[in-house]
This record gives sequence, structure tokens and C-alpha cells, in this order.
Amino acid sequence: MARIDGLSQRTRRLIAVASLAGLPAMFGWSSFWIKTSAPGLLWGPVSFALILATALGSFVLYTYVRDRANRNANLDERQRRLRDQAWVLCYEVLSAVVIAAVAVISVMVLGFGRTVTLDGAVVGGLAICVGVLIPLLPVAAMAWVEPNAPLEA
Amino acid sequence: MGRTAQRTEPVLYNRLAVLRTERGLSRQALAEALDVNYQTIGYLERGEYNPSLELALRAAEYFAVPVDAIFSRKPFTPMSEQLYGGGRG
Repeated sequence: MARIDGLSQRTRRLIAVASLAGLPAMFGWSSFWIKTSAPGLLWGPVSFALILATALGSFVLYTYVRDRANRNANLDERQRRLRDQAWVLCYEVLSAVVIAAVAVISVMVLGFGRTVTLDGAVVGGLAICVGVLIPLLPVAAMAWVEPNAPLEA
Repeated sequence: MGRTAQRTEPVLYNRLAVLRTERGLSRQALAEALDVNYQTIGYLERGEYNPSLELALRAAEYFAVPVDAIFSRKPFTPMSEQLYGGGRG
């Protein structure tokens, strides 16, 4: 636990990106794998590695941040300011993702005349990603914005 | 002495580390006295966090010195120089 508390900002940022990207990448990889003739043996280990990135990363981030991203946590003024910064970043990322998704779908449908099909697999994957990543986002943002801790006196 | 390293905030120098060491306090003890997290004391001392007016006043009250004896917009002259003048030996 002490090692997690002492993680540098750079390491925390890498873990945050890996955690947030792991699960969507797994669904992306699965969709890619179904449409190609990639060997079946490859699907399991790659998917497992990507899920593990999200699972392990989430564990590390939740352990590092604890309740500091919580709006009702007992924090001092510096920690409150960091939490507010993290929430701003959180909404910025969320807005960017929604805008990017709408833009991609709009270009595909209006620009190239393609149809977007929302079958059970796509909706299920989206629901899992949203359910796991939305609660993780403020925690990841908190781990992202916190500077390196000062050395002990 | 701490100096603010963040680019977005104005530079604020402080003597917290000197005052704390002078009184033989740990960061934890000072943090408890000022009702902040111990890491906040470290960030303040390194000049990486500018306190609110309320926290600055609380620190001044705790050390029983004027607030401008702890925080300043200009670099502090060393305590020894202030006490004994600029001469050597």
C-alpha cells in the first residue's frame, strides 16, 4: 500500500490511461478478431491482458485516491482544490469522448452513407464500458492531477 | 524557503520551514495544529501551493507572528542577515 501511495505522477498517469483504455480496447479487439482470420488462440490472452489492465489499474487507482475524489470527503483546502480540478478534467474528458463519438457516427452516416447497427453485442459492450469507466473517471482524473508528493522532512 | 513553482499562480515566498524547524515541529504536528493534511505542509514549504488567506492567518496565529513574517511576494532575506546585519565573521 505504501508503494501505491508513493507512485509518481507519471506512473499514475500511465496507469490511468491503461485502466481507461483497457476495456474499450478489449471490445475493439474482439470486434476486430471476429471480422478477421486472426488465430483463435490469440483472442484469449490479448483480451485477458486488456481486461487485466483495467482491473489492476482500477485497483491501484482506487487504492491511491481512496475517498479523495468523493464530494463529501473530509479534505483540506489544497485537496479540495485538486478534487475540483479533477472533476473539471473528468467532465472535459467525458465531453470530448461524447463529441468525438457523435462526430465519428455523423461522418460515417452522413458522409459515407453507412448505417450504424446497434445489436446486442454493441449495446452490451457499451453498457459494460459505461458502467465500469464512468465511476472510474473521477478517480483516474484525481490520480492524474495530483502532483508528486513532497519528500518527508 | 518555499517559492511557488506553478506557472499559473503568482509567486509567493514563505518561511514556514524555518519557523517549523525552529520550533522542532514535524510536518505532521504542524499539519494537525493548522488542521490540514501533512502533505499540504510539504507543498506549502516547497512553494508549490499558495495558501488561502484563512490558512495564512491561521499559520500566523499559530506561530504568533505577523502574516507578512511568514508569507511574502518578495524573497525573504535570511534570518541571520536580518538579526546580525550583512557583515561576515
